[in-house]
Amino acid sequence: MASVTWLLGEFRDKDAVADAVRSLRAAGVSVSDLDLFSEEPLELPRGLLDRPSRMSLAAVLGAAAMGGAATLFVWWAQNDYALITGGMPVFSFWGTGVITYEMTMLGAVLSVFGYFLWESGLLRKRDKSAPIPVVPPERIWLRLCCKGSDVARPKALLQQAGAVMVEEKASV
Amino acid sequence: MSSMPSKIRPGQPELLPYGKIREDLFRPLSGLTKKYFAAILIPLLVILFGAYAWSTQLRLGMGVTGLHRPVFWGFYIVDFVFWIGISHAGTLISAILRLTDASWRKPITRAAEAITVFALMIGGLFPIIHLGRAWRFYWLMPYPNSRLLWPNFRSPLLWDLTAICAYVTGSVLFLYLPLIPDMAQLAEHNAPWRRKLYRALSLGWTGSDTEWHALERAMKLMAGIILAVAVSVHTIVAWDFSMAIAPMWHSTIFGPYFVVGAIFSGLAGLMIVMALIRKLMGLELYLTRHHFDNLAKLLLLMSVLWLYFTLAEHLTAWYGNDPSEMIVFGARTRTRFAFIFWLMVFVNFVVPFTLLGIRKLRSITTGVIASFGILLGMFLERYIIVVPTLSNPRLAAASSGFYMPSWVEIAITVATFAGMIVLYLLFSKLFPIIAVWEFKPHQQEDEI
Repeated sequence: MASVTWLLGEFRDKDAVADAVRSLRAAGVSVSDLDLFSEEPLELPRGLLDRPSRMSLAAVLGAAAMGGAATLFVWWAQNDYALITGGMPVFSFWGTGVITYEMTMLGAVLSVFGYFLWESGLLRKRDKSAPIPVVPPERIWLRLCCKGSDVARPKALLQQAGAVMVEEKASV
Repeated sequence: MSSMPSKIRPGQPELLPYGKIREDLFRPLSGLTKKYFAAILIPLLVILFGAYAWSTQLRLGMGVTGLHRPVFWGFYIVDFVFWIGISHAGTLISAILRLTDASWRKPITRAAEAITVFALMIGGLFPIIHLGRAWRFYWLMPYPNSRLLWPNFRSPLLWDLTAICAYVTGSVLFLYLPLIPDMAQLAEHNAPWRRKLYRALSLGWTGSDTEWHALERAMKLMAGIILAVAVSVHTIVAWDFSMAIAPMWHSTIFGPYFVVGAIFSGLAGLMIVMALIRKLMGLELYLTRHHFDNLAKLLLLMSVLWLYFTLAEHLTAWYGNDPSEMIVFGARTRTRFAFIFWLMVFVNFVVPFTLLGIRKLRSITTGVIASFGILLGMFLERYIIVVPTLSNPRLAAASSGFYMPSWVEIAITVATFAGMIVLYLLFSKLFPIIAVWEFKPHQQEDEI
């Protein structure tokens, strides 16, 4: 297994971070090797550090699955012991539409939450060797995963972009 | 990160240094003052009395209430509709303002979202209290009984259960998601039990951009979904009434009429809560007159909308001249319930329109006065909807009746207001009532 070195660059300015990311990307560093740490959400220019997401798709699929399952369940339950309805249909979408709708929405809510936990990595197994910086207010840390032996170049790029400090940590 | 301006103007707390904002908003979490104890002790005593009243009802049966044939829905159903209405404060305000990126929402959203969760918890209790045999509430769950008979999924009462379950789940998650980054910051708290609590609830949040992106995406999506759920929930509560062919209930506009009323009362509740936490927690710098002014304008808009729906509802019934509807119409506007009806119109429209519509009169104090009036008015509105119709049933064979709430119903009702206060005070001691991480303007807002 190739050795992994982590570089942690501390910045005080959002533009400097954007410059650092831009130059690292130009040097061939992939988005998956970069992580930013800040106390508040940080918006970088579009295309710089985009992380594509399928959360909306997950919401739609979760909604359809739960709504569909709830409707099937109601249909089955109504037919399992058919009530006397005076000639009206035992199952009707008008009569059970509300339950279908609410369960569809609940499916969407739960899928969004579940997908958030998965996508953010909060409940997934993390790379324990990756150092996590403590972020004080008004500071931004850029973490870079260097898989090869060349650490000097990315380090120089971070410093050139305006990092006030660059720490180097070997993988445990 | 934005650089600090040379001078912070009042009304621009978001330009304060992040450390200062954090310190100010986390400070109310620590320390228990005498004022806090007193504020929580009195409502706790009221809750105890309410619990005694409920235990009396459980021991002696529903005969201790004022419910008699043909009025079988009274204060409990009024309370149910009222609290579900209040719950619309949070989700709708927070979701709408979040979706439209209104920056003035920032100090308000969490307070509003917490109202939603607590109001739903309280509102959801009332159908169980109203059952009489509260221990049988699980019969509403979709499972077959001993005769293998399933619940009737066509019943609006089962729709209620489904809708409220979906709404509670969504609202709790909608409150919880933006709390995660704040709890991660609180994970280094001095008290060990708090450290454990915040660490567990923050799920190991590190503040990486992957987490922030996922959170912001989830919040946007959740806001859209919860909006649709919130509208549906109060529509379904309205359908509990309008699906019955009862005079003055069987109306097509009941759904939107109830939704408008819910937002109206929810906003009033939010205004009162905001004024209280501003005073009690010393957050004058963060909850400014600007926020109250915007809320007051929203209240004014909802007041006018409420009047429009009330007029539309009553004019249509009057013009139709259906004999059974006219009896209820007369009871509401001219005879037995006229005082309640016109008081409702006065506090829901005349008072807010005067106090909030005239710019010189509009202030935080008048906003709170108008809001208390609106809460009273909306409680009366639900009473006016429920009781006169049941007192004057459509069928000639059914005798008309009279309803007066008993001390048990009143005590339980008052206890739920006390319950709201206690829940809110406990929440504000455990979690920052203003979202700290959301407070600072982000880059996109700077550009706008």
